[in-house]
Amino acid sequence: MTTRAPQGRTRPGAADLQVGRPGVVWALPAALFFGLFALLPMVLVLVLSFTQWSGLGSPEFVGTENWSRLLDDPVMLKSIGLSLVLTALGVVTQTPVAMLLGVWAAGHQWNRAVLSAIFFVPLLLSAAAVSVLWRAVLDPNFGVPAQMEWLFGDGNLFGNQSTAIAVLVFVSLWQFTPLHALIYQGAAKAVPPMLYEAAEIDGAGRVRSFFAITLPQLRNTMITSVILMVVGGLTTFDTVLILTNGGPGTDTTITAFYMYQKAFRGFDFGLASAIAVVLVVAATAISLVMVRLSGYDKMRSELEGV
Amino acid sequence: MSNDLSVTPAEHASGPTTPPTPGGESRPGGPQDGGARRRRAGGRAGKGSRNRPNWGAGIAVTIWLLIVAIPLYVLVTASFQTQAGYAAGGPLSLPTTFTLDNFTNAFDQGFGRYFLNTVVVTVAVVGIVVLLVPPLSYAIVRNRSRATTGIFRMFLLGLAVPASAVIVPIFYVISVVGLYDNLIGVILPTAAFCLPICTIILSGSMRDITNELYEAMALDGASPRRVFMQLVLPLSKGGVATIVVYSALQAWNGFLFPLILTQSESTKVITLGLFNFQTQYGVNIPGLLAAVVMSMIPILLVYLFARRALVQGLMGVGGK
Amino acid sequence: MNTRTRKSLTAAAVASALVLPLAACSSGDSGGSSRPENEIHVMVYGDATNKVEQQMVDTFNKTSDVKVVLDTIPGADYQQKLQTIIDTNAAPDVFFNWGGGSIEPFVDADLLLPLDDFIAEDPQLQDAFLPAVFNSAVIDGTPYGIPMRGTQPVMLFHNKQVLADAGIEAPQTWDELLAAVETLKAQGVTPIALGGADQWPTLMWYQYAFDRVAGPELFEKALAGEPDVWDSAESHEALDKLSALIDAGAFGTNFDSVKFTDGGSPALLRTGKAAFELMGSWNYSTHYDVDPAWTDANLGYTAFPAVDGGKGDAANITGNTNNFYSVLADTRYPDAVRDFLTLMYSDEFVEAQLAIGNLPTTTNTEQFLDQAASPEYAAFQFDLVKDAPHFQMSWDQAFPPAAGTPLKIAVQQFFSGQIDADGFIAAMKSLPASR
Repeated sequence: MTTRAPQGRTRPGAADLQVGRPGVVWALPAALFFGLFALLPMVLVLVLSFTQWSGLGSPEFVGTENWSRLLDDPVMLKSIGLSLVLTALGVVTQTPVAMLLGVWAAGHQWNRAVLSAIFFVPLLLSAAAVSVLWRAVLDPNFGVPAQMEWLFGDGNLFGNQSTAIAVLVFVSLWQFTPLHALIYQGAAKAVPPMLYEAAEIDGAGRVRSFFAITLPQLRNTMITSVILMVVGGLTTFDTVLILTNGGPGTDTTITAFYMYQKAFRGFDFGLASAIAVVLVVAATAISLVMVRLSGYDKMRSELEGV
Repeated sequence: MSNDLSVTPAEHASGPTTPPTPGGESRPGGPQDGGARRRRAGGRAGKGSRNRPNWGAGIAVTIWLLIVAIPLYVLVTASFQTQAGYAAGGPLSLPTTFTLDNFTNAFDQGFGRYFLNTVVVTVAVVGIVVLLVPPLSYAIVRNRSRATTGIFRMFLLGLAVPASAVIVPIFYVISVVGLYDNLIGVILPTAAFCLPICTIILSGSMRDITNELYEAMALDGASPRRVFMQLVLPLSKGGVATIVVYSALQAWNGFLFPLILTQSESTKVITLGLFNFQTQYGVNIPGLLAAVVMSMIPILLVYLFARRALVQGLMGVGGK
Repeated sequence: MNTRTRKSLTAAAVASALVLPLAACSSGDSGGSSRPENEIHVMVYGDATNKVEQQMVDTFNKTSDVKVVLDTIPGADYQQKLQTIIDTNAAPDVFFNWGGGSIEPFVDADLLLPLDDFIAEDPQLQDAFLPAVFNSAVIDGTPYGIPMRGTQPVMLFHNKQVLADAGIEAPQTWDELLAAVETLKAQGVTPIALGGADQWPTLMWYQYAFDRVAGPELFEKALAGEPDVWDSAESHEALDKLSALIDAGAFGTNFDSVKFTDGGSPALLRTGKAAFELMGSWNYSTHYDVDPAWTDANLGYTAFPAVDGGKGDAANITGNTNNFYSVLADTRYPDAVRDFLTLMYSDEFVEAQLAIGNLPTTTNTEQFLDQAASPEYAAFQFDLVKDAPHFQMSWDQAFPPAAGTPLKIAVQQFFSGQIDADGFIAAMKSLPASR
């Protein structure tokens, strides 16, 4: 719980701390709009989780039946594990690649700008396009695996859990790294060259100055990026839907996908709503914890009040 | 109490050594801008007086380029092949046929109209976001009351709400309000779900506008609105560019809302139109990919134009 | 302070401007989504056959005051979309479905119009169609659907060249099939192409295995609410036969990464890497669109082999009997709807469907067969359907939609060895049954 004295922390005597302090009313339109379309439906979903409903007729109140079914459901428990694994793998793979790419792209050579534009294209593609492309590229009989059997064996990438997970992590890496690289690029550009020059004078090599200077400066960016990755990883399932369809069997059925499956293939909206509630609570808790730990919500530039 | 966790000791130490400019070392979009761009910043290569080529980076980048380029190669080559040619050769082969039919065929399928609808949706969504998010971020960053902190937390919570979880209640809200099968019914929820990330991005960018700058405005006795229009907005151009690109991307590639909330040909958007190429038992891959190529170009242009401002916008995101 | 108050007021005004229209709209009826007068909506699955559907709509609109509007929905999410809107103002008057389990939930919720009255007014609405097909949309003795596309029986396709090179004939019995598998494997060919990643191609093997070994009664009982039949001796036998086929390497090892829908498994057949594929009749046009010359010369097709000692008639077939138009119970213009439906057995309809490679199931189809894109194939198919004592609807359509996912998962897992026969049986027993 953070409370603040209305004056913030500024140097004593600084004349106008009230300048440019907008009223809460500035935030209201957006808050109301968002409340209507995202939060109100979420409340309805919570209510729905205590009902049984197939989309036809009216929802029927069944108390906590959906919740107890959920606790006993092995696929649900498996999906939680899978969600955590996929998210963690995503963070672990995308962060270094995005960071390195972003820092690299912050350089001013013209070829970097051109290449960065190419690297950005995957992000522009819709899920349908991405999955069609990658399934074509990874076709066991006619795609890359067929050309490289020494590496891929019989090419049954989508038929085993471990390789299916690897494919999902890889495709997410391919598609979403550009976004995070962009974030890191911005931050890397803001690192003052003075620091690098000082390091150079001290005789630090490229690698050393990366670890000693660049990395610490990127700390906050990393937190933002990781929060976005974690929340995104837990709540999106487009890639899973179109690439593996949760398969083989239920081996890549992450919680978000399971929720979609229950709602729109099984037409069991009550149970799906319960899963949705679990997902939102977990993702929110994680993001709030991360925000708190990083002090992100303290809305100040570090220069203020130092 | 004032232990701002976002600052490490190293950053503190380097503070006093920078030239005394308003905003110091981390000013993203202000008067320092030209200098920032001229500075040879960047991590691994090409900074300072290093002249040695960075082989490690070169190799790594080449590998990444290959990884990125292979599917894109398939995308481009397939779109110029006939279905027969593509099926005969497989995805990776060099094309043996060449045709522009896939592109013209897409228009026969109605892509002109889908295109128009998608543009309408995108422009409207971006418009709503640009109208709502800057004042919101301004309030979050400058108004330190519990109310705005609470609102910020609400948006953080909203970040975790997946659209598919709430699509059925949204469908009912939209129907009750009479906006089913209407582009407005698609625009409103899409814009709403862009708000959390845009707010985080723009607040991150805005919080670097320091008190000194506000003080300068104070001498004129400026109202919050004047401060907003004359100080905050101009300095947040980068952040605004970022949220424009982000929300445009969300609107352009949005699929779930149009799927559930529209029905007729007249309100179809591109992402739904792509499914014209998918029959019950097969996919016309060259046709589909040609449509994908066409639908990608506008958003790529938006990105290219906004790129420079974009990078500056994201410089503030990490809280520097 | 003045400016601040003014600022707040402006903001409040803007906020209410956003909210008031919404309030105004909702205070009225959900007028936005109710249909204009003299209009009925027909909703169909979006794909290449829409051409014919649009043609029928245009023909109808020429002579009708009540106009039909055709809405096409992207295929993959058709059932989902339908179920979302069918109980709302946005529901279509007439909609495409697969009969059987796909409309049962709607029947149970009293959302569909029984078609007895229409048929009483125009008996051709029933008599003009092949009974085996028409009955797929009869629920509890009441007709709810009119066939509106083509029939799609599942057949065993083969690459004539590959078989010739291996010196074998197309198998007529299961044992011949097993022998062929051995021969082909020795030649380094994957005997049977399977698009396992789509899951429903795998399902086809179960459908035939069970039908041949145990007869159609087993599945009918299971569907009717006697899940214990899955544990019967015949069921075990069918599963054993499938296991034998799988273990003999008939399908290769990477079938779960191959799809039919993106051309993966057809390509295997076409390039000679595989010899057989069990697939629905649309497979012919799938190959024809890619390589007409090859299709004419080399694509062979037979009925599914018989099983010696099996209870099922060797002439039984499985597949999609057809697709149907069902009618919303509270449609505003039932007479117009009835007239529209009568087009489904017209000569124009039959010719149009044949022209795009579909095989309609009307009694007058036979006259037009030689107008079909491939007359020989059309004739073979038509005879197959006409002479079949029983036409089993695809399992995933026969079951209610809620069973679709668990069914296909079990199907995939048994084939890949993740679960054994008992695991499969347990999964089938726990499927949400029909009535």
